[in-house]
Amino acid sequence: MGKLGFVKILVIAAEAGRVTRKYPYEPPLVSSDFRGKIEIDETKCIGCGSCVLACPPNALVMSDEGEGYRVLKYFVGRCIFCWRCIDVCPVDAIKGTREFELATDNVEDLDEAVIHKRASCTECNGLYSTVKQKAYVMEKAPITENYVDKCPECRRNKLLRAFEKRRGGESLE
Amino acid sequence: MVNKQIIDNYRELALSLGASDFAHSGDTVYIVVDRERLRGLAEALYWKKNCYFRTCAATDETKINGFLALYHIFGDDRNGLNIVVKTYTEPNNPVIPSISDIVPAADWCELEAYDLVGVEFSGRKLYRFMLPPTWPKGLYPLRKDTPYNYRPGLPVSGERISESPVSAVVPVGPYHPALHEPEYFELYVEGEKVVDVKYRGFHVHRGIEKLAETRMTYQQINFLAERICGICGFEHSVCYAQTVEKAAKIDVPERALFIRSIVLEVERIHSHLLWIGVAAHLLGYDTGFMHSWRIRELVMYLAELLTGSRKTYGINLIGGVRKDINEEKKKKILETLELVEKDFKKLVDTMLGVPELVKRLKGTGILPREEARKLSVVGPVARGSGLDRDIRRDLPYAAYSYAEFKVPVYDDGDNLSRLLVRVDEVLGSISIIRQLLDQLPRGEIMAEDIEIPEGRIATSSVEAPRGENVHFIITGRGKPYRWRIRAPTYQNIPALKIMLEGENLADAPLTIASIDPCFSCTDRIYVIRGGNRYRMILPRRY
Repeated sequence: MGKLGFVKILVIAAEAGRVTRKYPYEPPLVSSDFRGKIEIDETKCIGCGSCVLACPPNALVMSDEGEGYRVLKYFVGRCIFCWRCIDVCPVDAIKGTREFELATDNVEDLDEAVIHKRASCTECNGLYSTVKQKAYVMEKAPITENYVDKCPECRRNKLLRAFEKRRGGESLE
Repeated sequence: MVNKQIIDNYRELALSLGASDFAHSGDTVYIVVDRERLRGLAEALYWKKNCYFRTCAATDETKINGFLALYHIFGDDRNGLNIVVKTYTEPNNPVIPSISDIVPAADWCELEAYDLVGVEFSGRKLYRFMLPPTWPKGLYPLRKDTPYNYRPGLPVSGERISESPVSAVVPVGPYHPALHEPEYFELYVEGEKVVDVKYRGFHVHRGIEKLAETRMTYQQINFLAERICGICGFEHSVCYAQTVEKAAKIDVPERALFIRSIVLEVERIHSHLLWIGVAAHLLGYDTGFMHSWRIRELVMYLAELLTGSRKTYGINLIGGVRKDINEEKKKKILETLELVEKDFKKLVDTMLGVPELVKRLKGTGILPREEARKLSVVGPVARGSGLDRDIRRDLPYAAYSYAEFKVPVYDDGDNLSRLLVRVDEVLGSISIIRQLLDQLPRGEIMAEDIEIPEGRIATSSVEAPRGENVHFIITGRGKPYRWRIRAPTYQNIPALKIMLEGENLADAPLTIASIDPCFSCTDRIYVIRGGNRYRMILPRRY
């Protein structure tokens, strides 16, 4: 290359032309496979908590609140958009979007929640699981209808009593 | 497969030097040695057997066997072997002889072990290395009885590396709007010549190892691992996943291995394009910077298409990958690569045709071969100094054994050599992706049964754009018992002192950048004592 070889950059620049975009005045350049914010369909969600266990940064958390409610909270601020929750959701309640323009001046905009009513035990009236998860279990495994109405504690006791009867032992009570 | 003769040689050597145990599995040799005999064995491995030093990992094994343990990991790259040397020590008097005088590359990791696990090293100067100066004495974060969320409530304190009272000190860094990452360099100059270098890093230590060992699960850690680095994240998650897979002997479907290799090479291309741009910028050739990054943008779009995120995040799991490559994507990759290759060649030709640029690159920041060997430097820094090492070829992982590629080696050890290594590697990566896409096998991309037994040990390496990543894992229940990470910059920063001394001040920013440092994945301290007539603090400009 001659002494003035580097002037070739002008040719390169002319060929490349203008590559910057007028974003935000034109649509952003995200590919079809881009992973953005998730959306939780509250009609489908059963409150099982699989997504909470899979979520690496704790963007999804679950807590029992008030009288008889279980709340699934999604905080976009912690989300790393890995979509593991979508992989593990048993009822396909979580959908991925390509949305990424999430900046806001109000931190509450970053919170989302699905409120579930908890199931109550027919025996002791204690709260357990959620109404929807109970329905899901009954639908998937009808055989469980004998004990799905009871909380895990009562279920355990019932089972123990059944064993005792079979073996001719005495009840603990 | 590793030659049996070579393993036998190692067995003989280890036993003749008093090793108490020897085992071999796959590409790793395990040796247990007494404290008194460690130095002899280290010397034989590092200097007689010509092994490189990868890193060391101190582990609190009191819950398993009541001891603290130190694993020195050597690498016999020519024979494709990892050599793990284990030494035990009692928790109440945890003294192990230092090997940093025999193996200079072990300097940093010994200090790290001292700070985080509380292993004392005899025969060397020990000082606070990673933790803040006001951290309570006797509190070791990586001991198993320290909770991960314990915060000792430190008083805020200032910190100076040098005690000499010099007026007119402008403290630029560690946190400063002009810096991209927190780090702190002090260059001591006489006239225009640099006479000494001091580096203080470690401002962004995030306790990743501790977090993974205490509150995350195996599959969650993939997403933590890729966040070790902002540029070569995928390398870390591959390295983590394949180390666990190796420990648990999980068979990963071939297609998944091919996809990993392809994405790894995409990452290498964008990382090197980024670096070439930055180097041009530091030399005042901003045209080159703009064009390099323009080309890089095509690759970033490709990364997003392949992984769902511009930063190649989120597709690795233990046992495989989550995203497949279909015909449409394959076509897009090949199209993009063609454009990138054509544009990149033109750009490099033009850049290297700028005489001022080449003059400033040639003969500056020299790292001689012997020094590079002594410090076991990795990646383009090693290959620019005549060390012919590349994990992709020496210990093939993912699908690299299916591709043919040349490892570029330049002997001059200057900034130009390191640039040329990276230029060659970009073209090499493009060729590797083409070869792998061509052979991409059909099938699943995720292993079916994934069971990870407790108490297994494995170490593996991945050639990241900056050099070799080393991960070391002891498996535990539901999460690793110990997970040790060594990022490439950790191994390369000590070489900066040699590169910078005697150098013109004006060349310093480029030389510092020439190792392509990544501080958030390294984050350690380096302190060098020496005469300081004048003092100058220089922000790294990228």
